[in-house]
Amino acid sequence: MVSTTDLIKISDYEWEIPTSYRADMRVPVRIFSSEILLKDVARDKSLEQAVNACALPGLVGSVMVMPDMHQGYGFPIGGVAATRYPDGVISPGGIGYDINCGVRLLGSRLSYQEGKRHLGELANALNQFCPSGVGTGGHHRLSTREVEEVCCNGSRWAKEKGFATDQDLRRTEDGGQLPGADPQFLGPRALKRGTEQVGSLGAGNHFIEIDLVSKIFDEEAASSMGLNEGDLALQIHCGSRGLGHQVCSDYVKSLQSAVNRYGIHLPDRELVCAPMDSPEGEAYLAAMACAANYAFVNRQVLSHYAREAFESVLAGRVQDWHLHLVYDVAHNIGKIETHQIDGMSMEVCVHRKGATRAFGPGTKELPSEYIKTGQPVLVPGSMGTSSWVLRGTSEAMGRSLGSCCHGAGRVMSRSQAKKTIWGEELLKQLKRDGIQIQAGSMAGLAEEAPAAYKDVDAVIEAVTGAGIAAKVAQLKPLVVIKG
Amino acid sequence: MSLVTLLTKVLKKYPKLCILKVMMNDKLAGFEEVSHTADLEIKVWGEDLSSLFKAAADGMFHLSGIEDSEEGFSAVKETISLDAMDNEGLLILFLEELLYRLTEDYMLFSVDKISVSNEFSLKAKLRGTQIRSYQRDIKAVTYHRLNIRETENGYEVNIVFDI
Repeated sequence: MVSTTDLIKISDYEWEIPTSYRADMRVPVRIFSSEILLKDVARDKSLEQAVNACALPGLVGSVMVMPDMHQGYGFPIGGVAATRYPDGVISPGGIGYDINCGVRLLGSRLSYQEGKRHLGELANALNQFCPSGVGTGGHHRLSTREVEEVCCNGSRWAKEKGFATDQDLRRTEDGGQLPGADPQFLGPRALKRGTEQVGSLGAGNHFIEIDLVSKIFDEEAASSMGLNEGDLALQIHCGSRGLGHQVCSDYVKSLQSAVNRYGIHLPDRELVCAPMDSPEGEAYLAAMACAANYAFVNRQVLSHYAREAFESVLAGRVQDWHLHLVYDVAHNIGKIETHQIDGMSMEVCVHRKGATRAFGPGTKELPSEYIKTGQPVLVPGSMGTSSWVLRGTSEAMGRSLGSCCHGAGRVMSRSQAKKTIWGEELLKQLKRDGIQIQAGSMAGLAEEAPAAYKDVDAVIEAVTGAGIAAKVAQLKPLVVIKG
Repeated sequence: MSLVTLLTKVLKKYPKLCILKVMMNDKLAGFEEVSHTADLEIKVWGEDLSSLFKAAADGMFHLSGIEDSEEGFSAVKETISLDAMDNEGLLILFLEELLYRLTEDYMLFSVDKISVSNEFSLKAKLRGTQIRSYQRDIKAVTYHRLNIRETENGYEVNIVFDI
């Protein structure tokens, strides 16, 4: 097991595991973290998993891990790895089962002072309008043909159906439509699972949250995002539901034999992969794009219902209840991007598993309103703690392939959390702190308790200290809806 | 030599002492949860591959928050046959099949009879019943460090589930 003594300190917020650590490492591991957060990391297998990921063929630069890293399966959560396109590999396990799990933030012009007396009603309305919970589908039942359209067109489908505006699309990564999606590469089970779940939250760590914009750190960036101190905002965290899980399962299974065909040796079968220019690699890329687009639509349809919930409670009672999209980020995805690596411009597939894209100012992929400030980077905290809005920096482009952390990161197992924390007690505690929770199950609530996570503020200090993101605003939770 | 190993050897030599087997049921096959920071992991053991697979299914349903249905498993009977490249692949196929039927059809299957062959194929007779709900969504059965190991008493394996 990798211990902290194996790490070479580069700076206060950067560490390295050199390729000399293990013979099968093609590139080093670069860790963005503070010394304090590294102590948590040493307690689980996340660094060993990062070293395992270094065996993937076609890797360039280094395998990076963010300060919210923790043990996953195959890749660690918080991992970023780039492979040369198109002859490098793509690894479905390096993207995860919940393809394009992500977060979106919607801002408002409704002040806390004006909105606070309606928060209880808003919590009920959000719970009623936005389906959530284990096994719960959305309001719409789609035909297989319609699922294919969702997969191909992404958020454009949502706009055609009246669930999205032009601004929503512009402020979603890739306009809410990852190119190259082709439903012929989806299995029948993936398509079937997609028929009932568009516009549903799911369970686990997924949530909808009403927040207070409690502090602004960068007036110019916050203003371009339409965020004002003292106003309410809304976050939605979810992914591609059963369709995405099935795509990943299908391809992790089918690629088990591909690695033998291509003579690839890996330390963990969950890392199975195929060259992107092979038939297997092309098929997975096309299927992954389908699932990613399904997830963009899922969050967009949920936004539509959240807007309806706000309207149903607030229309005629406050001046402005409109929710505008600040940005929508994916944190489990593989993207073909161009980066400067070792002084050369290179097309690569960036695997981000529990890591957020964080493009700096001037990046052509950003909408015009964010060209000057950089991409909004959304980092939700654990339930009951702060969330953060950051912006991508020019430094991030060179040092972390335009990537940043995605959340607080777990430190405690779910069973330990359930043993040490009572859901009912936690609910009372959060209520005392002024946070209303609507949860599907008390046991599920205990698993997601703040004590089971790292301190998100320490994670933010590490990424801003390393220079791969800059603070824009801090959000405090007021209402949390969990499945 | 542990008591279980000793009794296993006695059983192999004198298979008619089946009362011993009943007494040792929990020791011969079963599962327990192993700590994992974010996902769920179980350690499963069985005296042969068939009982290992059955115990793995019990473990997965336990993680889903389903205990045996009081109404019994008489509603539906099905037979499934699966083939894979190796035993680990076969185990994943088997668990994925049960998981898919649980999440899509709300069908909880109990393994009536299962035989795992040496050529990485299995045949299982299942009894299923409709359930109304389950507590936890399991996203997937992963291949992470999946390795079926031979032990003194049979087989064991650790399985990580993404949730």
